Amino acid sequence: MLPDMKGSCPFAEDSFSRFPSQSNMYGLCQAGDQELLAATLKGKVVCFRYQDLQQKIRPVAKEVQFTYIPVDAEIVSIDAFNKSPPNRGLVVGITFIKDSGDKATPFLNIYCDYEPGSEFNLESIAQSCLNLELQFTPFQLYHTELQFGEGQRETVFLLSGHDQRIHLYKENASLHQFEEQPVERFFPELKELPSNVLWLDVLSIGDGRRLTAFGCQNGCVGLALVNQRGPEILQSWRLQQDSPISTVSLFPLKLPAHNSNTEGLHAHEVSEVTEYNLLVTSTIEMAVVYRDVERCGVSRLVCLSDSDQCDAVVCALLIDLDFDGQLEVLLGTYGQDLLCYKFQQPVGAGEGQFWLMWRRSFRSPLLSIIYLDLTGDGVKELAILTIKGLHILQHSLMSTADLVLQRLADRVAKLSDAPKDQPITKQDCERTTASTNDGQNASTS
Amino acid sequence: MRSLSFVQRVCLDFTGSLFPHAICLGDADNDSLNELVVGDTSGKLYIYKNDDSKPWITRTCVGMLTCVGVGDICNKGKNLVVAVGAEGWFHLFDVAASTGKVESFSLMDMDEQKPYFTQHIPANTKVMLISDIDGDGRNELVVGYTDRVVRAFRWEEPQDNTDLSGGQLVLLKKWLLEGQVDSLSVNPGPEGLPELMVSQPGCGYAILLCSWTQEGAASPGEDGSNASTGEGPSRDLILHLTTGRIHNKNVSTHLIGSISRGSKDDDSKGGLFALCTLDGTLKLMDSSEQLLWSVQVDHQLFALQKLDVTGDRREEVVACAWDGQTYIIDHNRMVVRFQFDENVNAFCAGQYACKEGRNSPCLVYVSFSHKIYVYWQVELERMEPTSLQRVLEERPEYTALLRKLGVDPTDTAAVRKLIGDLLYRDSERKAELPQSSLNPTCSV
Repeated sequence: MLPDMKGSCPFAEDSFSRFPSQSNMYGLCQAGDQELLAATLKGKVVCFRYQDLQQKIRPVAKEVQFTYIPVDAEIVSIDAFNKSPPNRGLVVGITFIKDSGDKATPFLNIYCDYEPGSEFNLESIAQSCLNLELQFTPFQLYHTELQFGEGQRETVFLLSGHDQRIHLYKENASLHQFEEQPVERFFPELKELPSNVLWLDVLSIGDGRRLTAFGCQNGCVGLALVNQRGPEILQSWRLQQDSPISTVSLFPLKLPAHNSNTEGLHAHEVSEVTEYNLLVTSTIEMAVVYRDVERCGVSRLVCLSDSDQCDAVVCALLIDLDFDGQLEVLLGTYGQDLLCYKFQQPVGAGEGQFWLMWRRSFRSPLLSIIYLDLTGDGVKELAILTIKGLHILQHSLMSTADLVLQRLADRVAKLSDAPKDQPITKQDCERTTASTNDGQNASTS
Repeated sequence: MRSLSFVQRVCLDFTGSLFPHAICLGDADNDSLNELVVGDTSGKLYIYKNDDSKPWITRTCVGMLTCVGVGDICNKGKNLVVAVGAEGWFHLFDVAASTGKVESFSLMDMDEQKPYFTQHIPANTKVMLISDIDGDGRNELVVGYTDRVVRAFRWEEPQDNTDLSGGQLVLLKKWLLEGQVDSLSVNPGPEGLPELMVSQPGCGYAILLCSWTQEGAASPGEDGSNASTGEGPSRDLILHLTTGRIHNKNVSTHLIGSISRGSKDDDSKGGLFALCTLDGTLKLMDSSEQLLWSVQVDHQLFALQKLDVTGDRREEVVACAWDGQTYIIDHNRMVVRFQFDENVNAFCAGQYACKEGRNSPCLVYVSFSHKIYVYWQVELERMEPTSLQRVLEERPEYTALLRKLGVDPTDTAAVRKLIGDLLYRDSERKAELPQSSLNPTCSV
């Protein structure tokens, strides 16, 4: 068992929706601005949102009837994205296996409405379906944005399967439909995989580059630094763990620069750099963060101690839950616990560490976590899918309100300090306060 | 309907079976922290303390225990544990004395398993209440029976007595009702004097009049204050049937009174009480018979309690169904549901010092699987779901600050963006922007 933590979970449960059948680790996604979709095994998709009624909000979990999902279907994974600008519209992808007795057939259904005005209407999107039969058992359905030259962007689906491959589905704009394209054309790093990929993560890191990480059933983790123009693999790494990899996540951390020049700077000036890290969670072993993968590859690892004490880690999420500008690691485990780790800046030349801040128990194993603004008030909520249903955890509104008021007051103070010779239009004022407040936030963190 | 899942719970061992009223929370040992008292059908009395799964104290009584209670029944400023059996045996236990925390006297030499005091009262007991029912500032014992009878008793003892050995229960009055009595409660009437209420089948209730206050047969210590009910001595109870939906006339009904309104001023307007029926009707009324709300649910409600879960000193109504569905409803009819995952044998809610050495609001479920589950620290910031903007709008300085920044407080989209910026902008900017453009030099 874990030692008792001093910290306590800063979230309070706002609602719990019980589902008639269980879901899995690929069964939760954000759909649009303030809604989420949760898929349950027995072919049902639930849309959860907060309804605004007479100055009151109330949680609503409603089943959405996605067309072309047979009654005997079992949903494997669900994902949704908004098309990259300038295109408009919400795209929902659902993979399922239709088991009609002798032979199970897997399918990918892609839902997308091209009718102007209904591109974001879930009810009408659910009625316009593209049905693709698959030749493999699907796993994670993921989406990522491709960047071409000239700043062009397009979001595509990536679907991993039991055929040791990842399949790419891209919109054919002229035909108004999605079709499979060779994944090597856009993701050369996803060619010739060592095993079935259970989890994939892609992060754009600027300069037209991206980091791609995947975790496999046989314990292999792949990581690649890719120049999106080309595309061309700049560097790639592989490592082997002893148990299936449940998730991989790439995330940035801000660090004070380890620069000898800092000595020469004024004492009150600290420069910061962003390094990219890779979190790998495994079903048996401890979760590990590989630090600064862009420069050091997989050579600098930090273990998240005690993360192997609550059964398998099933899901992970990186969010800034204390609003200090630095991401925290959330791990959801099959042992019904949610663990929160916070990065502690290294003292002197030492390595930074991730400390277990708090844990919160649930009544059933955790499957998936996402973080989105369901209530539409600017602060996001944590949506946690467990075997029994969907929990919505809200930040403590009292303390968050205190923080907002304090930061508002800081902004106003900065604003009144600023020179007043320029005409203050709304946008100007936003911009100036934004830049001045930057320093404020950084100094408080 | 908002639904929640509470997770902080401890599991206590309890192998017996019990009657629904043989469970209560109270300060049994007078240390200001509450204990859980449970009596089973074989006459065993268990007192649980903290989160210890084994009983802290076990006592043996005569007969099947039907009701247990904790209260200052002897009016000595000290709580005692009361256990009453179906056969009519009334037991008193002084837990604090037997654990040696209070100055011990000769009774310490007694066998600790033996009760402090026993007396035989009429048999077929069902429910029990320890409270001041006649407004004299002293507690009485009220017992409801399976044969539709309610009896009130008072502890009386010789003036010069120093311990309890000389005292005994004296019958004050007996009422005969038309229907089964499932709950006894006390509720302040419109004049602020306590009224003894009992539930009646079909979502009804009756107010039992304490006629001895008029007859002048007052006990020593009473200052002769009269209840101004003005009823003749022939009528000693007033039956009320609540209106509304047609009820099954025989449906079992529970009642709880003296639901706190949260402030002293409001309490002077008379008390609030709630009713629930096995066919799923819940009502909140005040002592002038005004209906505050009524809720219909499709679960069989068998227990009704009150508990302040929001910490505003206003008590919420808590009703539990046989299948574990639990409803917490505030005075404005906001409902929070909780599903306990097993069938429930008995339920109670109240303050219990489960962890951290302090009382916290708890829900206690006795399952059919030899376990008692205590959900501790059942605390909510608020009953209704709300957003950060609503909370901010209640803060006086909020709108002024927004206006200073040139943001219209009614423009929800702009406010949402601003709050999002304030809370997350740093972390999100770093994730989106290319590293080369990230070169913030900040002043500390």
